[in-house]
Amino acid sequence: MKLRYLLFAGLIILLTAGLVACGGAEESGSTAQDDSSADETSGDEEVTLHLAALESAYDDEMWENIIENYEAANENVAIELTSEKNLEEVIRPQMQAGDYPDVFLLATDREEALTETLIKEDGLENISDVLDMTVPGEDVAVKDKMLEGFSDTLATNPYGDGEMYMAPMFYSPSGMFYNAGLLEEKGWEVPTTWDEMWELGDESVEEELSLFTYPIAEYFDTFLGSMFYASGGPDFFNSVMTYEEGIWETAEAERVLQTVEQLADYTHPNTVANANPNDFTRNQQLILDNEALFMPNGTWVVEEMADAPRADDFEWGMTSVPAFEDGQGDRYAFTFFEQMWIPEQAENKEAAKEFIAYMYSDEAADIFLEAGAVQPIEGMTDKLEGQKQEFYSIYEEDVLPAMGTFASTEPVPGANMGDALYGSVDSVVNGNMSVQEWQADIQEVSDKLRPQMK
Amino acid sequence: MSYLSKKMARSIFIAVCISPALLLFILFMVVPTFEVFRMSLYRWGGLSSTQQFVGLDNFQILWNDMQFIQSFQNTILLIVLVAIVTMFFSLVFAAILTREKLIGGNFFRVIFYIPNILSIVVIAGIFSAIYNPENGLLNSIFGIFNLENWQQLWLGNQDIVIYSVAGALVWQAIGYYMVMYMSSMAGIPASYYEAAALEGAGKIKQFTAITLPLIWNNIRTTMAFYIISTINLSFLLVMAMTGGGPNGSTEVFLSYMYDQAYSNSTYGYGMAIGVVVFTFSFLLAAIVSQITKRDVLEY
Repeated sequence: MKLRYLLFAGLIILLTAGLVACGGAEESGSTAQDDSSADETSGDEEVTLHLAALESAYDDEMWENIIENYEAANENVAIELTSEKNLEEVIRPQMQAGDYPDVFLLATDREEALTETLIKEDGLENISDVLDMTVPGEDVAVKDKMLEGFSDTLATNPYGDGEMYMAPMFYSPSGMFYNAGLLEEKGWEVPTTWDEMWELGDESVEEELSLFTYPIAEYFDTFLGSMFYASGGPDFFNSVMTYEEGIWETAEAERVLQTVEQLADYTHPNTVANANPNDFTRNQQLILDNEALFMPNGTWVVEEMADAPRADDFEWGMTSVPAFEDGQGDRYAFTFFEQMWIPEQAENKEAAKEFIAYMYSDEAADIFLEAGAVQPIEGMTDKLEGQKQEFYSIYEEDVLPAMGTFASTEPVPGANMGDALYGSVDSVVNGNMSVQEWQADIQEVSDKLRPQMK
Repeated sequence: MSYLSKKMARSIFIAVCISPALLLFILFMVVPTFEVFRMSLYRWGGLSSTQQFVGLDNFQILWNDMQFIQSFQNTILLIVLVAIVTMFFSLVFAAILTREKLIGGNFFRVIFYIPNILSIVVIAGIFSAIYNPENGLLNSIFGIFNLENWQQLWLGNQDIVIYSVAGALVWQAIGYYMVMYMSSMAGIPASYYEAAALEGAGKIKQFTAITLPLIWNNIRTTMAFYIISTINLSFLLVMAMTGGGPNGSTEVFLSYMYDQAYSNSTYGYGMAIGVVVFTFSFLLAAIVSQITKRDVLEY
């Protein structure tokens, strides 16, 4: 009987200790924050910089070369690299335990949304001063090397307050990809307006080809972004991105949504069935097999499908999203880019800022370029060769650049703009959802997020 | 006195033996469960040091969240469907393999069990190939038999995609439950069946009158397994096979919880979903266990 009491008491003590330990996370978090406020500068002190970078399509040696060069030039800095395909899963538990990397290369719009979580929780360091820093080893400021427009979008300034929290890194123009060989063989012109697109759609039906496909619905983020720009210009795009009241009931918004509905009539019938994390390359394969003509994508698709079989005379082509008006309508191609940022709770913020400034050096840019990663630095496109230069030169052919993302809000349970706007595309394409229902859903989520905007 | 000290020594020995397991259980099961309950009362993005106590607000929001309600409906549909279909086929196959002298019986046992040892990601890959609208096995078979009208976009049609996921879950589960039922059926004395046969009972009558009542306890136990394993495995299968789509039509409890806790930066809300899942599975298992309670037949 006594043993039972003893066990019960032990259980209670353990439970209490466990809960107290967990409850203490709040305090330990704030302690870490306090410590970080007493941030050391790199100076002559020995600094170990922890870099967390997403392992993506680029060459693995890229970061090793960068680190080697940086450590050689900065003897007091040692860099510890964590590079993983599932970076968020590896890093998140460490961060929850208060162990934050000093600098991240991790884009927004990823499913695990670690970057967005930190944005929403005011967890990013303001790095506006990096723009005024001199690029290490050079005598030019970062802002003078960076391409215009990259440092003042909602994708770098998530709070729209003119302050930069994320540095633009590897960028890639995205637009409509197609088989240039097929269009040439058929004698078809690349459409520059939606009217031309529908005409081509009717012609392609006669040839038993589908006009359109898409990898997964989330690829509509850049596609719709370009359409918003084309439909109402930069101001309209910003109104959409900042959840302006009634914005989804405007004529500009309606014609974007109606265009997607019309595009559904010309979409390959298997698209929605393949539009999942497992099978999306089957939709990309439809372009290579001449079963569909156009798909929204980024320049990475060329590498992604490099080993896939293809039709004879296949040649990748890329064009902008069509204009809405004949002759006078603007055409846009969205620029997708990855971001580098410093967590607010990082230990070595100043050293991390210097490291980010180095990213814009010619030395670093050349290492990245060799691995296939292009940075938004003046003159970089001149160093590109062949098809890559063609893709990156899209903005030299009457096509305007589009950039940005939704403004940051406080987290709102159950309300996600990406789910409402892009996730519903599958339903619109397979006819389960009308444009009116789609519009109403988006408006509802937009209304929920507006008051929570930071 | 000597008896008491012997009893005391025995108690201490037992306590020492079970304490490591008990400690691990408390640390890794009980404490995290309490922590989930605690976090469900907070508004927290998952990383910052700021946690705002909101009481039952997260649960109130859940009540009106149509996406959560859809994931709830999908989960219940999967549990019911997978339990019924898996149980039916597992029992039939177990009865055939136990009672009938089939050529290659052992071979079939192994074949049926193989899906259970495959990774759920592999199963997702296999079924994605089977459901491929263009050259997948299912549509190809319908094509061979001139049943083109039956061909479907198995992962693209919102009305049927949840059943496609259920199909993969059933295929994965049948072998495991079949083996469990076979072990129970093997213990039933053959004389019962011989006596029933002499009385004129056919195979189906023997199955319903002898086999089912005598393995009923085993069936009851597996019902709880159906509930728990369907909730867990459907999450993995959905993540690998459909990503919750098209447009949330295959979203289940845990995929929506993951989505809210991580993708939407509403960790506290995700934990509230976790509490509902915990309570729901616990209650459902208890209710099913109570409803299916019968007198134990001994043999």
